[in-house]
Amino acid sequence: MIGKHIRLIAAGVVATLAVAACGGSSGSSGGGAQSGTSYQGKTINFGAVFSLTGGGGVYGPQQKNAVELAVDDINKSGGVKGAKIAIDVNDDASDKQQSAQVTQTLIQEKQVMAVLGPTLSNSAVAAHPIANNLKTPMLGVSNTGFNIVGDCPYPCTYIFRDSLGEASAIPANIKAYVDKAHPKTGALLYPNDDKFSADGAQVVRDSVGKNNIQLLDSIQFTKNEADLSPYITRAVQKNPDVIFITSLGSIPARIMKGARDQGFKGQFLGGNGFNTAAVSKQAADAGKGAQSASAWYIGNNFKSNAEFVKGYRSRFNVDPDQFAAQAYAGVLILVDAAKRANLTFSDIAGDRNRLRDAMEKTNIDTPLGPFQFTSKHDVKQTIWVIAMDGKGGFTLVTSIKNG
Amino acid sequence: MTQQLLNAIFIGSIYALFAVGYTLVFGVLDVLNLAHSAVFMLGAVVAYSLVALHGTPFLPAAAVAITACGLLGLVIEFVALRPLRRRGAPPIAALISTIGLALIFVAIVEQAKPGSRFEWLWRDGANSVKFPAGSVPNATYHVAGLTLESTKLAILLISILLMLLLGYVIRYTQVGRGIRAVAENPRAARLLGINVDRLIALTLVISSALGGLAGILFGVALGDISPYIGRDQVELRGLAVIVLGGMGSIPGAVIGGYLLGLIEVLALLIFGTNVRAGVAFLALFLVLVLRPQGLFGARLRERL
Repeated sequence: MIGKHIRLIAAGVVATLAVAACGGSSGSSGGGAQSGTSYQGKTINFGAVFSLTGGGGVYGPQQKNAVELAVDDINKSGGVKGAKIAIDVNDDASDKQQSAQVTQTLIQEKQVMAVLGPTLSNSAVAAHPIANNLKTPMLGVSNTGFNIVGDCPYPCTYIFRDSLGEASAIPANIKAYVDKAHPKTGALLYPNDDKFSADGAQVVRDSVGKNNIQLLDSIQFTKNEADLSPYITRAVQKNPDVIFITSLGSIPARIMKGARDQGFKGQFLGGNGFNTAAVSKQAADAGKGAQSASAWYIGNNFKSNAEFVKGYRSRFNVDPDQFAAQAYAGVLILVDAAKRANLTFSDIAGDRNRLRDAMEKTNIDTPLGPFQFTSKHDVKQTIWVIAMDGKGGFTLVTSIKNG
Repeated sequence: MTQQLLNAIFIGSIYALFAVGYTLVFGVLDVLNLAHSAVFMLGAVVAYSLVALHGTPFLPAAAVAITACGLLGLVIEFVALRPLRRRGAPPIAALISTIGLALIFVAIVEQAKPGSRFEWLWRDGANSVKFPAGSVPNATYHVAGLTLESTKLAILLISILLMLLLGYVIRYTQVGRGIRAVAENPRAARLLGINVDRLIALTLVISSALGGLAGILFGVALGDISPYIGRDQVELRGLAVIVLGGMGSIPGAVIGGYLLGLIEVLALLIFGTNVRAGVAFLALFLVLVLRPQGLFGARLRERL
């Protein structure tokens, strides 16, 4: 009898996983290879792989919105030298395997020129090598983990990112806070089963020493933990000046609430996981002052950002966030490169190479500020240090020129 | 240490309340209702929706949410379970159909955004939210270096009272006797004049109402309501709890819930942070090997 029960449970678990792994991906693509070198009347097809559902669903929908906005903005203002652009946005359900599979489908079956995404660094590890093998440019617009571009475990010559890496952002943020408040001690909390979070934690561990902060404890948990209280208790009881949080989704807000409830009076410093209004809103008053370095700040009023913010607000009735800004910038980067690449529209493999070469020479204004790639295809831009305002928004603390 | 024990007791009561609903249905039907985690999530979501989007005070909102979850139990019975039972389908078919329902429930919430069909229910897509400040009274007391939150104390009290009440109903009332009769042998129960289908439906209503209540309490205490709280944060632990306590045993689910909370926290204290989940499941494995019927598992015909 018990054997039957166990089999049932095992079957249930397996079935849950199996069904979770399948999910929707839809979309259509038109156009394709045509002859001639004039852009007039052509369509340039790109693809995008975003996490619209699952854990990364906190970020993917804004990315999709921003891409749709960018496509319409560009097509309305004459397109790319007369060619229209189309971007086929697909959901990877925050799942690594599905991300790889969707990327492959976009490149091989839908014959897109380049791909944006995927949303999560965790998925990029699977999806990027596929694009690289198929010699198709893939531009990460929100991957901030290690070894995404430059020093990858494979020759990532077709991979770029326009998302500020945690390896730049976290130390910049810690230094900005140390210069101001001179904290002595810290405790680090992060889920160890998520690449983004674990990478961020490594950056924190590498940075604290240089800033004369003693790390009292480095507390690991799993990302699907029901209750974080035991870990928070452990951190709070060490009485640190700073609690470092490098994680995603609801975890930063839950830690902030729990720590404030338990009487923590110090500072929260974090990474990219802080940089979205939903997190600031969930943390609410518990998050007030929580500081992170961002690739983008909503209040910047230089032209390329002001227009983006205005367009996004009027179309979607909500404020854009950093993920939307980076996705929008990603489309601008592809479009600018396509403009300069002398595409043939007949030789897709050649066109992908020409696009990649053009991307390496990017130098444009984006909502993120003036943007270029480094020789390793990484980000060269200004870093904006921001703090949660306790009401679901952010204020600008300072800005740092990078590169 | 004491604070950590409080943490353990508190999360244990949520595990227990969630697992009691699981085990109740399993005891009666021999079917794992995997839609239970989605009902847990919807309890929190409906209560949040009423409070944050429609301005309802918390207590009536919670009452409506619990009722709605009870009704969802009927949906589970009529859509996912009864048609299969009529055809004599194996339990695995019912298990899959409840997974299907769970996926649908999660997808409805996850896709609900401003302007969509379900915006009256949820507007935050895959994001996490918490009850607006001030909508749920939560005084915090600091006693002898310990932090006591009134919501967590309330959860502990409510859980224990409800589980005692449920135990009483199952053991001493007409309905409870009926449910136990159906659990033991549906055919014999039917021959004795018991309306088996009605009792099964009632079991699902009770189970789902408890699941919804657990979800609301979870949302209140942890400040975390999202489409995934059931699936990601309590589903597997709920299964672990009922295996630990003994499949189908209500006292087993209660004790199992507290035990899992305690094991997790003790593992953290003794072995450090990285192995907590591992230790909990190692304990589960040992129980399965050494005492496969679970700590409180009776022989089959003495369940509930």
